[in-house]
Amino acid sequence: MECCFRVPLWHEGLSHLQVILPGTPPRMDFPSSLRPSLFLTGPLGVSDVPDLSFMCSWRDALTLPESPPQDCKNTAPHLAEALLWEPAMPGPLPLLPPCPDPWDPGVTAQDLLFRGGFRYRRQPQVVLDVTEQLSRFLWNHGDIAFGPLGKMMLENFKLEGGRNRSKKMTVVSAKRLLQDLGGHQPWGCPWAHLSHRLRRFAIVGGPVLGKSVSSLLGRLLHEELATRWEQLLLDEAFTGGTLAWLPGRTPQVGQLVYPAGGALDRLRFQEVSLTSGSDPQVLGDPGCIQLQGPVRQVVTNTVQGETLLAVRSDYHCAVWKVRRQRRPAPLQVLRVAKGATGISLSPHLPGELAICSRSGAVCLWTPQDGLQQVYKDPETLVFRDPSPWRWADFTAHPRVLTVGDRTGVKMVDTQGPPGCGLLLFRAGAEASCQKGERVLLTQYPGQCSPESLPPTLHLICTQFSLYLVDERLPLVPMLKWNHDLPSPALLARLLPPAGPGCPQPLFLGGLGGQVQLLHITGKEASAPRLAGPPQSLPSLTDCLSAFPLLEPKSHQQLQERLEAPTIGLACASPPSASTPTAWLFQLSAAGDIFYQHLALQAATSFHRDCGPPGDPRPDSPAPRATAPPMDQRPPPSWSPQVTAWCSRWLEALLQVPPASPVWTAPTFSHRRLLGRLEPQPVEGKVPQALRAAMARGRILQQRDLGLLPRAEPPPAPEPGPQDELSERLEAAWEGQGATWWKRQQGKASEPGKQTKRPKRRTPLSSTFSSLTSCLDLSDTSSPPHSSELRPQPPVTPHSQESAQQLWAQGDHSERWQTLGDYMAELPLTKGTPPLGHVPTPPSQASSVQATPSRLPTPGSQPHRKRPRMGF
Amino acid sequence: MRPTACGEPASKGAREDCGGAHPHFLLDVLRTQDMSDFSEELTRPESEDDQEEASTVSGTRVYFPWLQKHLDTVATGGKKKKDFAQTTGACLSFIREALLKHQWQQAAEYMHSYLQILEDFDSNQRQTAPEIIWKLGSEILFYHPKSSVETFNTFADQMKNIGVLNYLKISLQHALYLIHCGKLEEASRNLSQAETWRYGEKSSSQEMLINLAQAYKGLLEYFSWSKKKMELSKLDKDDYAYSTEARNIFSHSWKTSVNFSALIKTPGVWDPFVKSYVEMLEFYGDRDGARKVLTSYAYDEKFPSNPNAHIYLYNFLKREKAPRAKLLSVLKILYQIVPSHKLMLEFHMLLRKSEKEEHHKLGLEVLFGLLDFAGCTKNITAWKYLASYLRQILMENRVAWVQEEWKSRRNWWPAFHFSYFWAKSDWKEDKDLAYEKALVAGMLLGKGYRYFRYILKQDHHDLRKKIKQMKKSVKKYSIVKPAV
Repeated sequence: MECCFRVPLWHEGLSHLQVILPGTPPRMDFPSSLRPSLFLTGPLGVSDVPDLSFMCSWRDALTLPESPPQDCKNTAPHLAEALLWEPAMPGPLPLLPPCPDPWDPGVTAQDLLFRGGFRYRRQPQVVLDVTEQLSRFLWNHGDIAFGPLGKMMLENFKLEGGRNRSKKMTVVSAKRLLQDLGGHQPWGCPWAHLSHRLRRFAIVGGPVLGKSVSSLLGRLLHEELATRWEQLLLDEAFTGGTLAWLPGRTPQVGQLVYPAGGALDRLRFQEVSLTSGSDPQVLGDPGCIQLQGPVRQVVTNTVQGETLLAVRSDYHCAVWKVRRQRRPAPLQVLRVAKGATGISLSPHLPGELAICSRSGAVCLWTPQDGLQQVYKDPETLVFRDPSPWRWADFTAHPRVLTVGDRTGVKMVDTQGPPGCGLLLFRAGAEASCQKGERVLLTQYPGQCSPESLPPTLHLICTQFSLYLVDERLPLVPMLKWNHDLPSPALLARLLPPAGPGCPQPLFLGGLGGQVQLLHITGKEASAPRLAGPPQSLPSLTDCLSAFPLLEPKSHQQLQERLEAPTIGLACASPPSASTPTAWLFQLSAAGDIFYQHLALQAATSFHRDCGPPGDPRPDSPAPRATAPPMDQRPPPSWSPQVTAWCSRWLEALLQVPPASPVWTAPTFSHRRLLGRLEPQPVEGKVPQALRAAMARGRILQQRDLGLLPRAEPPPAPEPGPQDELSERLEAAWEGQGATWWKRQQGKASEPGKQTKRPKRRTPLSSTFSSLTSCLDLSDTSSPPHSSELRPQPPVTPHSQESAQQLWAQGDHSERWQTLGDYMAELPLTKGTPPLGHVPTPPSQASSVQATPSRLPTPGSQPHRKRPRMGF
Repeated sequence: MRPTACGEPASKGAREDCGGAHPHFLLDVLRTQDMSDFSEELTRPESEDDQEEASTVSGTRVYFPWLQKHLDTVATGGKKKKDFAQTTGACLSFIREALLKHQWQQAAEYMHSYLQILEDFDSNQRQTAPEIIWKLGSEILFYHPKSSVETFNTFADQMKNIGVLNYLKISLQHALYLIHCGKLEEASRNLSQAETWRYGEKSSSQEMLINLAQAYKGLLEYFSWSKKKMELSKLDKDDYAYSTEARNIFSHSWKTSVNFSALIKTPGVWDPFVKSYVEMLEFYGDRDGARKVLTSYAYDEKFPSNPNAHIYLYNFLKREKAPRAKLLSVLKILYQIVPSHKLMLEFHMLLRKSEKEEHHKLGLEVLFGLLDFAGCTKNITAWKYLASYLRQILMENRVAWVQEEWKSRRNWWPAFHFSYFWAKSDWKEDKDLAYEKALVAGMLLGKGYRYFRYILKQDHHDLRKKIKQMKKSVKKYSIVKPAV
């Protein structure tokens, strides 16, 4: 069976294509000395082993001197410099006008989970609320639930009585009733016709109907809810990301490739020009390719001057050849019956791809030669995991692929005997994985430039950590960073180094919009390590402050839009004359693209000297840049152009119609009536319209009748639950705002409403509350904070002192206190005014001394059993 | 990993899952065919689904850190968090946020408040708290512009005594920090303290950490030893000071060996320790001991397959002037693990010098294997070796060897190495490389191949003679026989 059709490879004059040439051969040297690490075998989360990853991020900055240091006194320790890519704006900004399709956040945990539950559990338990969903379904879609049942009974039972039996009033024709089940909607529609017979039938037949329907439907519904809940926890469809940056003619110009439209089924090509110092310029209208399915992943790669673009949809994969100035030429489309989970383009050979499907098969795909199955195993690699997610990528050897699933990553030789391979990564004790840890993404960054990391490194992300594994030393991660992202890390992009000797920026993005930036260096023959503390970049919601103040409903619409999951990440760093810059693009599931501009700041290398701080040493190298540390730098602010653009964007967003509700008004039993309405030869407009409306199963409305003289207004639906906002607005409109407010307050002070207050207050929480009042006082006298967005410290030395009074007995508390004092001894909290002009935070120790507040201990409980510290 | 270069492509069954061009997905496609098979999809057994569902919904296996966030939006019952837990939790997230924004000062302020978690009534919290405090606190102090080594020391010393289980871990990291700052003596003192520390029954994890502390101490001793050695080398041998110094050095050795030997028996990556241990052993003439250490480090199955272990062993044997067979056996294993290593060129030369025929064959395999890797495509030495060796082998009329290697590479080497694109760019960048590659291309693909033809066409006065020679050898020796 021929499975692929062939499209001749596109030949084009090479002179048109951009030629990316590596200058010097990349280094394939193996690090001459690796960092010491323990090698354990076993399952995840083995507890009785010293977890060396307990060590912190700064451990990576530590280097063992290769040769013994010559003179201990004078060696300036080579500490990590404060590498920082500073965002030019406080948050990302929309690049294009909002996507004209409405955005609906979809189901939330609230829709799926059982509310209430076991009070005294230590851990709340996840219980899917099938019952409520089922009852709602029966309520709202009774026709779907009961209709088929009636139909089936009609077909299979003889329901007519004997012909000659006289029909008495006590006999009901079941035929009608069963027919009616299909349109039975007693409560959903206020106009629904409910006959007494139907009602009686419902009561009599209830047990039978309810049982069969719920047993049939319940299982299906439970299955559906389970998949939805799984999807809510981890939506793996967008693994890898749907946004790609295609470099263009000049380094400053490139194309963004991304899906647009509410259904994400239009592939767009938008040319963008990046110049440092100004906003990115959108050049021309985007090119567009309409697809028949949602785009889940977009990958591009340029190999030997040939740029290819590959797209993965749920059940299809497609590959295009990108041509300058022209439409991309489609090469081939592939149908994946069981669902594709990953696609990647070879960095070595033009036109070679790796795809994997839910069935556990991995194929090498070339448009010329078709498919070659490389690996197939429905089981997972290391231990049994139910997830059918698979991933495949390339390695430094063009004939070796990595095959990944939730439990590990394996290297498989495409030319070797099927089924064999070598494990590259194992979710287990080898990488000191935690309990419940799973692989979410594996990526082969390839070789960006000759100065970059060796081409043997693979990036592996789990819910907790990021690993860099060298394929020459499998199973032992070269680098591990605990990223702690609050959403699944499914996006990663590595940029080439900003300059010779600079570390490579690695962007790690979570589905929730959080982006972390890691600086990875692995110069020459040393193992890759973090060159500085990782930093977090502003997330999409951080740009809320750039928008004008809004009334609550619009604000919520905007916020929902900005909180849409990030499904694509792309970055570009055009060479610039002065400081290295980078652009980060984020695509949200609502179809909007946001950008951030980052500039590299090399802050003064701090605490280089081991001597007293502030003692300038003559031999210390001059600080590289004059940028002060982040603390003392004024935070970036929005420029007027930006706020103007944002309000324009917002205007366009508010024009977008709200998402149509998933559930529409139910139909009512109309078929019978429709049949009776025999078409009359001469018919007025109203009956015609009524017939049309009934045929569609809808209610006849005023607008259906056109410009008829206004007759009796149709009965208004019962007012739903009280809408506070509209009520208030109504009142305000009539000038009754104040009375409304009073009334509302009166309602609020009813005794029934007070139950929410916590019953008992611990002394600690009271110190917190007393503290906040102090804070307010001090705040009024101090100049307004420049950093209002920053969360206030939950506790200040006030509480510190009072807390210390509370616990000032016993040796344990003493220890705690000394530690606290010691922390207070830190130069930073001493009250010395920090550099720069940022007003000092209210939590200054000096203010404590000025107002020695002796807070009474409310509730003065008898001293509780002192916590023991394991002594 | 080393790819096995045999076997036919396993294309059977490839279509079952990913097959058939689909007409409707892409509207632009002009010609489409749909040959997909739906039947498999439809006849999937149901029981599989049920199993899957049952195990995932229970949700006990995979752990999602963001699960709590979802649960918080729904009142799902369970114990309500105490105010204290809420505030400390919030404080912790503020610290993390400040750290990721490089706001060290702010982070320190939050940390000041966070310390009260040590008083939590929840014993679970209280046990994990010191670890978190150490982790975040040390990070703040490491990067804070106004912190100093003294501050760090005080903090570490206090943290060691809170939560008894962390003593060793913190001591170890503290020592690492001190080494990093160049305070070797202080670090050594720290490690000595850690080494003698005991708590309760000696658990395996404790022992492991103590071993690690000892090894680092050994490393520090090695530093001072090698410093002294250097000083000694400057001294005159007849000097009086020489003998005392020498005695000093000698006293070091046995202490250090004790330090290292315990750790390097545990499976792990111990490159710096093994390296320095072997250097010391070698200095004192304990060659057997050094060999034993290196052999077990390289060949113990419990250890990860660390290429460095084999490299160290090879270098040691080379220094020892071991017989060639021994060197070859070490490199053979390294070749199995890392066929792209630069030592492979040395391996190739050794194989060429060998008398055995199978070694000569392996020599060819090694070169092909090295050039398979993306990072080695521009290694001019490898290309030079391959060109000359191919010529030699073809001269010896061993076409079968070349054919065998070429069989698995025939379908991708031309596009990978000898494309028109590379011909142009190689010639532009490195004419010598282009020349060597062209020679290989000519021998493997015939004189009609575009890479060879392109280089041949180039007129370059320096290389004219060479290219002429190349043309001659390709004409004579090529595995492609064009209609003779």
